[in-house]
Amino acid sequence: MAASGVSAPTRTEVLHLYRSLLRVARQFCDYNIREYTKRRTVDAIRDNKNLTDPSQLAAAFFDGKAQLEVAKRQALVYSLYAPKVKSIMDIIPS
Amino acid sequence: MASQFLRQTLTKTKPSTIIRRFSTAAAVASPTGYEEPTGVTMKGVKISGRPLYLDMQATTPVDPRVLDSMLPFYLSRYGNPHSRTHLYGWESETAVETARAQVAALIGASPKEIVFTSGATESNNISVKGVMHFYKEKKRHVITTQTEHKCVLDSCRHLQQEGFEVTYLPVGSDGLIDLDRLRKEIRPDTGLVSIMAVNNEIGVVQPLEEIGKICKEFNVPFHTDAAQALGKIKVDVEKWNVSLMSLSGHKIYGPKGVGALYMRRRPRIRVEPQMNGGGQERGIRSGTVPTPLVVGMGAACELAMKEMEYDEKRIKGLQERLLNGIREKIDGVVVNGSMDRRYVGNLNLSFAYVEGESLLMGLKEVAVSSGSACTSASLEPSYVLRALGVDEDMAHTSIRFGIGRFTTEEEIDKAVELTVKQVEKLREMSPLYEMVKEGIDIKQIQWAQH
Repeated sequence: MAASGVSAPTRTEVLHLYRSLLRVARQFCDYNIREYTKRRTVDAIRDNKNLTDPSQLAAAFFDGKAQLEVAKRQALVYSLYAPKVKSIMDIIPS
Repeated sequence: MASQFLRQTLTKTKPSTIIRRFSTAAAVASPTGYEEPTGVTMKGVKISGRPLYLDMQATTPVDPRVLDSMLPFYLSRYGNPHSRTHLYGWESETAVETARAQVAALIGASPKEIVFTSGATESNNISVKGVMHFYKEKKRHVITTQTEHKCVLDSCRHLQQEGFEVTYLPVGSDGLIDLDRLRKEIRPDTGLVSIMAVNNEIGVVQPLEEIGKICKEFNVPFHTDAAQALGKIKVDVEKWNVSLMSLSGHKIYGPKGVGALYMRRRPRIRVEPQMNGGGQERGIRSGTVPTPLVVGMGAACELAMKEMEYDEKRIKGLQERLLNGIREKIDGVVVNGSMDRRYVGNLNLSFAYVEGESLLMGLKEVAVSSGSACTSASLEPSYVLRALGVDEDMAHTSIRFGIGRFTTEEEIDKAVELTVKQVEKLREMSPLYEMVKEGIDIKQIQWAQH
């Protein structure tokens, strides 16, 4: 058996990553960052949907996991310094 | 979860109203005295929440991914990159060199050609004053435009006081310079041509490739202030034939207080340093390189390279939404500057028959600016709009909307709604608008003098 390094992610793994990213996006207290994280996740997963080459898939998945780690840390940091007053977009249901 | 508990503990409001019985010290005011749970009160204005931010040309929020890359250098890896004897210095130096390569990759240059400075203003100063002082024996003439950033214009004024000659090229009503005029103005003793890539007030993109060709033909160094262009339009130092380029960190979702200067090596351009000292940054800019800021700028540049296409497509759609949304509801809206040669994230609009200050006073829930942040302290209308030939009254009512990576459709819709409401309210109160609606031409009126 050739040890070929990282293998392509399974469908379950990708869905799990997608749901984790959306969950962490909801935890941002800053309106703009929250919306951006949600939107970027959806667009990135959609753009990479049609990749077939396993090494490309593995690279994209690895990148996604790294971004998830960054997002988790930053959600915490942003909440530590959350301003007392929220953005106007969060207050008025527009 | 531990992180939940940590967050709850640390965000409990501080007991700043405890009465200290045996202390004669004055009560310490809470650091954010203007923020109450019900809203914000500052400068006599009360709003229910933080305004939505549409001023991306003034500065941009720091991207969380950039902040993530910067924090370790404030916490544990705090060494001085110029310390050669220990791990702290080595790891700091490696980080600075990585950032240098990231910045260079974005503009198509080699890392050896990048010098880190404290911002685009400092880079502009080094370029304009440094180049002319170095070549002051042979070259006594500088060409620039009337719509440059204040730091370039002020440096040129400083050079004029020292005895150099400066030509300020006029711009057309679309904000672009006349290339034939530039060609005519170049003299044998022209030492520098300085033209900014994307204007910060009107968003117009100058024809840099053609200007670069002209400068190469006459063998004149070409400097461009690319602070607003970096990461937004495709920047290529080879295609543009620039010798010097100023870059800014806080316009591309990076930290404030850092910038870079690109200096071409082939053919080599020499400058006289403005900051003397220990010879850091190849002697061009002495002083400790601020590792966290530089790492942040590098991360921001790498991010910009990956996200440029996605951001541009999105921002273009948002700009159209904003412009169409406003134009559908009200007339008399003029876009300042060319619509074709423009960066999509900058929209400078003038509203006829409306007074600018009162319009801004009513738009407190939207963070926009009129003119540029540098000149908003003075009362006169922006010199950029004056150079475009915009009438005084239209120049006073100009508003600059800046759209960025983090702007959402809902924010655009809300900005449209608030702007339209405020403009309609002001026009209703305006006697001038009444006269216009009746068909009277305002410019033909002979105002009776009492």
